[in-house]
Amino acid sequence: MPFQIEGTVIKNKRVKSLYFLLGIHCPPITNHIQPGQFIMLKVSGDRSPLLRRPFSVYKNYPVNHPEKEKRGCLFIYYKKVGKGTQKMTTLQEGQKLDLIGPLGKGFTLPPLPSSANIILIGGGVGIVSLYPIAEALKNRKMLVFIGGKTQDDILCFEDFKKFNSKISVATENGSLGFRGTVVDLFLSQRKNFINNRKYYLYSCGPVAMLKALAGNVKFKNFICQASLEARMGCGFGACWGCVVKTNHPRTPYQRVCQEGPVFSFKDLLWE
Amino acid sequence: MQSCDLTVKIGNMALQNPVIVSSGTFGFGEEFEDFFDLNQLGAIIPKGISLKPMVGNPPPRIFETEGGLINSIGLQNPGFQEFIKNKLPYYRHLKTPLIINFFGNTQKEYIELARRFDGVRGISGLEMNISCPNIKRGGIVFGTDPRMAYRLAHAVRKATKLTLIVKLSPNVTDIALMAKSVEEGGADAVSLVNTFRAMAINIYSKTPELGNIIGGLSGPAIKPIALRMVWEVSQAVKIPVIGMGGIMNAQDAIEFMLVGASAIQIGTANLINPKTGIEVICGIKKYLIHNKIDRLQQLIGTLG
Repeated sequence: MPFQIEGTVIKNKRVKSLYFLLGIHCPPITNHIQPGQFIMLKVSGDRSPLLRRPFSVYKNYPVNHPEKEKRGCLFIYYKKVGKGTQKMTTLQEGQKLDLIGPLGKGFTLPPLPSSANIILIGGGVGIVSLYPIAEALKNRKMLVFIGGKTQDDILCFEDFKKFNSKISVATENGSLGFRGTVVDLFLSQRKNFINNRKYYLYSCGPVAMLKALAGNVKFKNFICQASLEARMGCGFGACWGCVVKTNHPRTPYQRVCQEGPVFSFKDLLWE
Repeated sequence: MQSCDLTVKIGNMALQNPVIVSSGTFGFGEEFEDFFDLNQLGAIIPKGISLKPMVGNPPPRIFETEGGLINSIGLQNPGFQEFIKNKLPYYRHLKTPLIINFFGNTQKEYIELARRFDGVRGISGLEMNISCPNIKRGGIVFGTDPRMAYRLAHAVRKATKLTLIVKLSPNVTDIALMAKSVEEGGADAVSLVNTFRAMAINIYSKTPELGNIIGGLSGPAIKPIALRMVWEVSQAVKIPVIGMGGIMNAQDAIEFMLVGASAIQIGTANLINPKTGIEVICGIKKYLIHNKIDRLQQLIGTLG
């Protein structure tokens, strides 16, 4: 059940290079949002940009959260790339923001108790969407793969350190960690995963990355999910503008905003 | 708040107010129930329905332009049977009139659908789409040829007793001529405008931004042209005109009414602010009270 509410900007600052962190006080949304769900933000009060923009939630603090000063707040990461995100960088603390959320179907977490292994693979700002999984599975052992074009595009490295995780980094220009894509990095370790254990793989990033991953990871002991990005008209299922092709027999084009943004690899056709 | 009479009559339908939510921008209605009480609307028009299910166009399906939105959804819909079985029951809990937007590939299909909807409980009217720019066959062919539009309206008129609205395409030389043709054919009302055929290009990949190459432009960018067309049509026909095209707020809606629209439709704005319909109703009411107009009817077509 999404809410349309007026939130308040509590923080908006540059983290590194083109990446910014935006904190919004919006209690009803923080109380209901699940890992992998997203919000639609009216970035500016005027008509430029006209449509809302979708953002996945990075950190979320429901009103009963132990960290008192952050209660009722959520944080999103954004990359300054276009007109909309350019405007977002000018948002000031205390400013009101029209937002809708929580939206979409989030990640399916492994049932508990479970001995399944957790793998997180994020490309660029995509890694941010996977952070709530780590939060939810706190004490579980996790393998985290973070990729980006350069070291400036490696996000959340410090965040994952506090968990029981093994973090590997890949950059396409070799400025940090493995030289290559995050998918290359993951596949370079493939022999570690050929066993009888069960793995839950969660991924988020550019379509090319997800496609490469889905094309290569066809291990029987893996349950793979991807959080997709798409141009969205509304974000709440009304316009059917954000579809992706699936193997659904009657309705091949499913909505990223409603049936997704999280899909199983096996349901996607990756055209 | 003071009361004023917002009611409007379109064919056999008595609407409590002139604000209708437009086909293709309001899903099947239920997507909006978390945001406001749908009973407040003048009427609801769900996504267009065809005889058989349609899978729609390949993505990307939308692209934002300056003040506008180009879409090429391609009329994806579950088809008549599925709609009746799984979507229609939802509306039985609402008192808001339901208008069905429908389309076919051939005249026979249009007639068949009109006939089928005619007997269904809970439907107040039909909006016949002869104007979608996103499908190759049907639709637009009827929407651009006045003689074919007349014949189609005439044939469909005989197939149903429901109020028949014909939704017109703006992609014609003389939209008033199209309106007159369907009026002569027996339409109870016309609604206009549908989207303008449009394109967007990515210069880096040198490819179209839409999977379908061409789509339809909507939003505030088209409002001035839509307004001019509604004005022309209002002067040409006697049946009610339902105006739409980039209406974002009450002021926009009132502009359409001044040029002759008896009712208006909210389209793209629903996607941005799901509560637009309700805000427009409130705004119209305020405007009437402020200007000491008791009945909305007294405002329609009073452009000085």
